[in-house]
Amino acid sequence: MSFQLNPLTRRQLQRFRAIKRGYLSFLLFGFLLLLAAGAELLVNSRALIVRYRGRLYFPTYSAFHPGTDFGEDYSYETNYRRLAQKFARAHDGDWVLLPPIPYNPYENDFRPGVYPPTRPSWRERHLLGTDTTGRDVLARLFYGFRTAMVFSLLYMAFVYLLGVAIGCAMGYFGGTFDLVAQRLVEIWSNIPFLYIVIIVASLVTPNLGWLLVIVVLFSWTGMTYYLRTATYREKARDYVAAAEVLGAGTGRIIFRHVLPNTLSTIVTFIPFTLANAITLLTALDFLGFGLPPPTPSWGELLRQGTSNLDAPWIVTSTFVALVVVLSLVTFIGEAVREAFDPKKFTVYQ
Amino acid sequence: MSPPHRLLPLTATAGALAGLLLAAGCAQRPVAAARDIYPVAEAYYKAHPDFFLFKTPADLPQNLVWQDGHDVPEFADSDAKRGGTLHYFIDDFPRTLRFVGPDDNGSFRPFILDDDEITLIQRQPNTGQYYPGLARAWALDPDGRTMYFKLDSDARYSDGAPVKADDYLFAFYFFKSPWIVEPWYNNYYSTNFSRITKYDDYTIAVTWKEPKPDIYDRVGQVYPVPEHFYKDFGPDFVQRYQWTIEPTTGPYTVLPQDIQKGSSIDLTRVPHWWADDKPFYRHRYNFDRIHLEVIRDPAKAFEAFRRGDLDSFGLYGSGFSLPEYWYEKMPNRDPLVRDGYIHKVTFYNEIPRPTYGLYLNEDMPLLNNRDIRLGINYATDFDLVDKEYFHGDYVRMQTSADGYADVPFPHIHARPFSVEKALEHFAKAGFTSRGPDGILVNAQGQRLSFTITTGYATMKDVLTILKQQAAKAGLEYNIEVLDGTTAWKKIEEKQHQIAFSAFSASVEKYPRYWETFDSVNAHKAQTNNLTNTAIPAMDLLIAAYDQATTMDQIRSLATQLETMVHDDAAFVPGFEIPFYRVGFWRWIRWPKDFNVRLSLYAGQFGVEWLDPQVKADTLAARSAGRTFPPAVETYDQWERKDD
Repeated sequence: MSFQLNPLTRRQLQRFRAIKRGYLSFLLFGFLLLLAAGAELLVNSRALIVRYRGRLYFPTYSAFHPGTDFGEDYSYETNYRRLAQKFARAHDGDWVLLPPIPYNPYENDFRPGVYPPTRPSWRERHLLGTDTTGRDVLARLFYGFRTAMVFSLLYMAFVYLLGVAIGCAMGYFGGTFDLVAQRLVEIWSNIPFLYIVIIVASLVTPNLGWLLVIVVLFSWTGMTYYLRTATYREKARDYVAAAEVLGAGTGRIIFRHVLPNTLSTIVTFIPFTLANAITLLTALDFLGFGLPPPTPSWGELLRQGTSNLDAPWIVTSTFVALVVVLSLVTFIGEAVREAFDPKKFTVYQ
Repeated sequence: MSPPHRLLPLTATAGALAGLLLAAGCAQRPVAAARDIYPVAEAYYKAHPDFFLFKTPADLPQNLVWQDGHDVPEFADSDAKRGGTLHYFIDDFPRTLRFVGPDDNGSFRPFILDDDEITLIQRQPNTGQYYPGLARAWALDPDGRTMYFKLDSDARYSDGAPVKADDYLFAFYFFKSPWIVEPWYNNYYSTNFSRITKYDDYTIAVTWKEPKPDIYDRVGQVYPVPEHFYKDFGPDFVQRYQWTIEPTTGPYTVLPQDIQKGSSIDLTRVPHWWADDKPFYRHRYNFDRIHLEVIRDPAKAFEAFRRGDLDSFGLYGSGFSLPEYWYEKMPNRDPLVRDGYIHKVTFYNEIPRPTYGLYLNEDMPLLNNRDIRLGINYATDFDLVDKEYFHGDYVRMQTSADGYADVPFPHIHARPFSVEKALEHFAKAGFTSRGPDGILVNAQGQRLSFTITTGYATMKDVLTILKQQAAKAGLEYNIEVLDGTTAWKKIEEKQHQIAFSAFSASVEKYPRYWETFDSVNAHKAQTNNLTNTAIPAMDLLIAAYDQATTMDQIRSLATQLETMVHDDAAFVPGFEIPFYRVGFWRWIRWPKDFNVRLSLYAGQFGVEWLDPQVKADTLAARSAGRTFPPAVETYDQWERKDD
């Protein structure tokens, strides 16, 4: 069964591209996602390339290199920043190419006589300063963004899978099934989600998977209402009756006929779901019920920032990052909604 | 941060309330319903003739050497001025005003019990000698476990009633009673004391179950319980006395009109307090009133202090000892400090330290190997945490029992961070090569990875630093931060691999080992042997230690025990705070050497006072923009100098 976009949807996509602010936001956001995917190449304590005694090494994605690999006297992970300085002083043809931000989000960069958090410094390459344990704020922001994105995209996928499947089934089959399922959804959506998270977080340390499962379990219900309505509407259309008459099976009708026509409903919600997921994860981390330390996360940074207002670079950079990302997503969402607005295409009789 | 509790020392009884309330209460009840506890208690004494003994003064042993502390130096400042109201805060409204029973162990209790009640004798907090409390003279029996006390006939409760021998007999009846719903007290008073003897109304003897080197602290800390106040004592004790306050022998009491439930509570100085002019008590407890506002968030309390609504921050507690407050929230360049309105003081005390560190569970695979444990000791970089994260203020804990002035371990030191030594020990245990992520693996492909469980959410940054450093030695730490209660439950059930935790240590003369290292407490839930240490030779030493009768024995056995703890390497000593810090508006004044050696916090011994003249000057100067020389001072006369 292939899943074809109908002409209407294609026109809607064209319209979306025509909305400049939304489309630019979309491109920028896509670019950020791309950067985040390659974060190890941009923000990392491991060098991109090391040339040592005529051989080239690419440590970024490889197994770790103990210091002894490059003539150092320790067996733990090479400190490439120091190696770079050493090679530069030695002038014997060896060199190290470091990423633009030569820190990973976990390492504590303690310097003699200075106590973290330290203010932003170009010389130390801590462009946004360090946090209370001397970790680079930019690195943590960057990897925190990636964590948030992975979480949000997975969250979205699962919420939609559950919400669409159940909502669609409710609308399509209707009757008693619809009645019972709706009541169950109502009951389920009344369970206080935050308490569940608090209870679970006090019993186990939630990792990304755990957190995702809990959050998804309590978030899919909203989607069912829209899908149920949309399916009801589509099901009553003549083309569905025609397909039935032609002998199409339930699966074929749902996937080939009904779902593609409800796509506009789903698509409109995507950006807002994404924004929701980011806010949710940040809020949970802020409250201390989120990902375990030392996972980089925006909520944790915000919390550090608000309790260390005398180190304004922490809270400011996190806040700005949060605002920028949420604005981008919201702009995209607005544009999508406008592009997919049924009023633009429906002729009311 | 509050470490899980250990059995804290004997803090028993007696308190305060205006006779007014008592009288009113009686008047309202029908006479027939009024109970009288006297006959019940008397019957109890008769039923336990081995415990409650009645003799005459002629029965007192003749050869007793009576002491009265006349040669002990006083420690308060004779310049102290009496008067004024201190404004301070508590983080929660007390859930009861009872001294014992459910919910008694809150942050308010020190104000009415621990720091207020007068015990039989008291320890001079600088010299460790003893001075009179409710007893004006005392003597130790040659059996080493009985102490005789001549009670001070001047001593009065805050309702005016005299303190008599009967109140001590009653105390034992009271604390052993199931009606107080406090098993810990029941157990403590039943198992540790052998008997109490009344010679006359002002002479008693109390006998501990066995001779102890610190018998003065154990027996001398008994509190009287005012029998006349508890004449309605019965099965409904918990409800009946929930919001009444026992008449106190101490300087402060709570008046019923000062209890604003949920918002504030005031302590009032007992008028014409019996010990007002007595040596060791004069020039202390100088405030007429202490107003305690309920402020639940310490950050908010700090703002109230900045505004001048509170006279001090960290006076009763350790809030200001956190580097965050000291260096960032109120640095020395802060206008209030720079202009001399607020003074900041660091005071080095000398008390047993809470035992922050890693507890390795010897029942877990790999951790049962001593080489792994030694490797972990060398791979755990608490020194870096102390130096960089805690601004070099915190120092490395060296043993499992630091801070006991009478039992020092100058030759035992925590193992320093050393990648080479760690690798050497890990290699002995079969972990010779590093995996692709730099973590060591053995021949079976097992990774050298452990989970650290903790309930201290505020300490998670410490653990992340340890994790980073340990990776250098090929050791992986996973961090599990749980809710405090859940974490403690998991640790007490010995389900942890490594626990990051601490026991609070009470101000005792020498450390305890039985709870934490005896094999009786290993391999079972709900005990404090978090490492599951079970060494037969150590058990023997602990048994000898617990029966030791002199401090010399204690010192020698403790040194052997501590050496074994060090060699066993199941406890990685963490850090300790060798001082407390306090900030206060300049009208709060202190003795010349600021405070006493054994103080847990600045206000504990009540040596400070409020100078109204200075307060008026300061407020006038502030509105006129006049400034004073700044005062940021360190008193390190009691600092540990051995390393």
